Amino acid sequence: MRKLVLLSLVVLGLGLALFNFKGLANQGEFDSIVLDFREDIPAAEISEELEAIAGQYNIEPRLNSEFSTSDHVYTLRGDRQLLRALKKSGLKQETEFIEPNYIYQQFEVPNDPDYAKQWNLRSINLEQAWDDTKGSGITVAVIDTGITQVPDLKQTKFVKGYNFVNDGIDATDDVGHGTHVAGTIAQSTNNNYGVAGIAYEANLMPIKVLGAGGGGTVADIAEAIRFAANHDADVINMSLGGAGESKLMKEAIDYANNKGVVVIAAAGNANRNAAAYPARYPRVIGVSALDPADGKAPYSNFGAGVDISAPGGSQAGKILQNTINSPTKQPTFAGYQGTSMAAPHVAGVAALVKSAGISEPEEVLKVLKQSVRKVAEDPLNHFGAGHLNATGAVKLAMRGQISFRDFFRWVRDNGYLNPRFWIDGGVVTLPLKLAMVVGGYILAWLLRNYFPFGWSWSLASGVIAGSSGLFFLRGIYIFDLPQWPFRAMGSSIPELGNAVAGTTSLNPIFASALIPIVLVALLLGHPQWKWFAVGSALGVAACLGVNAVVSPAVSGLGSGAVARLFLVTNAFLCFGLAYLASKGEKQAA
Amino acid sequence: MSVTVTGTVEHRELGPGTWALVTEQGETYELKDAPQQLCQPQQQVRVEGEVREDVMTFAMIGPVLEVKSFSIVNG
Repeated sequence: MRKLVLLSLVVLGLGLALFNFKGLANQGEFDSIVLDFREDIPAAEISEELEAIAGQYNIEPRLNSEFSTSDHVYTLRGDRQLLRALKKSGLKQETEFIEPNYIYQQFEVPNDPDYAKQWNLRSINLEQAWDDTKGSGITVAVIDTGITQVPDLKQTKFVKGYNFVNDGIDATDDVGHGTHVAGTIAQSTNNNYGVAGIAYEANLMPIKVLGAGGGGTVADIAEAIRFAANHDADVINMSLGGAGESKLMKEAIDYANNKGVVVIAAAGNANRNAAAYPARYPRVIGVSALDPADGKAPYSNFGAGVDISAPGGSQAGKILQNTINSPTKQPTFAGYQGTSMAAPHVAGVAALVKSAGISEPEEVLKVLKQSVRKVAEDPLNHFGAGHLNATGAVKLAMRGQISFRDFFRWVRDNGYLNPRFWIDGGVVTLPLKLAMVVGGYILAWLLRNYFPFGWSWSLASGVIAGSSGLFFLRGIYIFDLPQWPFRAMGSSIPELGNAVAGTTSLNPIFASALIPIVLVALLLGHPQWKWFAVGSALGVAACLGVNAVVSPAVSGLGSGAVARLFLVTNAFLCFGLAYLASKGEKQAA
Repeated sequence: MSVTVTGTVEHRELGPGTWALVTEQGETYELKDAPQQLCQPQQQVRVEGEVREDVMTFAMIGPVLEVKSFSIVNG
């Protein structure tokens, strides 16, 4: 009973979310309206209409550009009110469409005034990555000279760190290096001040191991790594290095790595063929530095131990962050260069990748490496796998794990939530269709609570195929082309039997557990396609369940209790089938 | 292990900046705990100190030479 209540609540919640979703069309900004007159309307008539609008609303419609003449595309200044008025007026008959002239914006551009000077953030292709994550929930330990909370770190979240130089909890910076590095990772962003950071919603953990002279001992650094790992750091950045290989440090790194911490270090600044330690250890991501032209920075180490490259700057262009002035300790915006500046770019992106759901350090490295902008010829390994690519990494991290958020995004991106489908969707009963898709997902979600399995595209496609099909295709009519292929593609598995014929009664062979059974039997052995079969069984269960309640017409069984019983029984059979198929997965795992 | 290194003092703009000692053979040392009088760009010096293998730094320009004493070489 409790489960039933919970399920009803989930359905209600999802329903409300769907009905309240206003769609992209209501979110966009516009201050002008587009009028596209029909091609067959004579020019004289258009001029008359335009004059009428000018007279009535006191606005002069204009051709959008000199290229708009043949298409009769006019724009006029106006808001939602005018748009509604025009749509209701007689103009509707003479135009192909009247629509808002939306202002498209280029992704998420932060309002920090000196963001324009941060060539390095554009170089790593960051803005689109922020659409998905800003690093929220991830903690990055900065093992360095400490961090001073300069003004442009005011809104950045901090967790408790440690000072291994003076042994205490106050890990304030007295050089400026650690503060600068921290700024690249998580400078307060969109705060109308200073510059931006990469994972600016992540937490910073300041750990001081380097003294005023810029050096620190291997013993302190090894302890710092363990401290970070023991205090729930997700990523460690070490913009430091030396020549000495240390067993103590290697063990600390392995310890952190085994606890799921991604460890990143700078390759070193000796322009030498081999990264310094700790970058050179196998379980550390070694980062070489790029100049503003994407070439190797003149000082950067290369070769052994370099896994990836990121902007480190050169005399031609440095990395700008908020830090402190070394002698005066006063806050300042300073341009630094070094592999020390390159490593925190990777640490910031690693935080984004982790925040996107990838937890294992090996997986994070794989995502970072696979998403790089590759360098065609790199015989000396200047760049490792290639140039760091934040958006590529986050998109890759998001792929293959479908959350409810992704599901809604998918639904939205495919036009399912566009109001036009709700208003003009006479061909298909949309609320019904959505109930089927959402129902399929809820079943999958319930199933996952008992048998944890990963969301995958195959499962999602299965749910869609089983429950609703690409139903918007049904509304498409292309002149002279037969419409049945659209009907077929726009149908779910249970509806396929009647889609081609164009009838509304369900065909009992298709609208049953039969196809899911065959699919599961055929695909059970395949690691990915199996989930398509499971998804389709869940989707069919939802489709049949919804039909049983709303429209139980089945060919040969009528539309009464017999048809309902048939549909409900088959819905349960489908759910049981999905249950059994995913249960097998658990035992195998 | 105490060593004596002769070379030219240079300021390297890496991070907030660091002091380097470059020998005639082209080897670069990072100067650790260098007193103010030593830190004069292009100064020819002889530095006695210890190479600290157990120390890591943010400059990462080469072996870390902890300065014990130094003398200016007239060149």
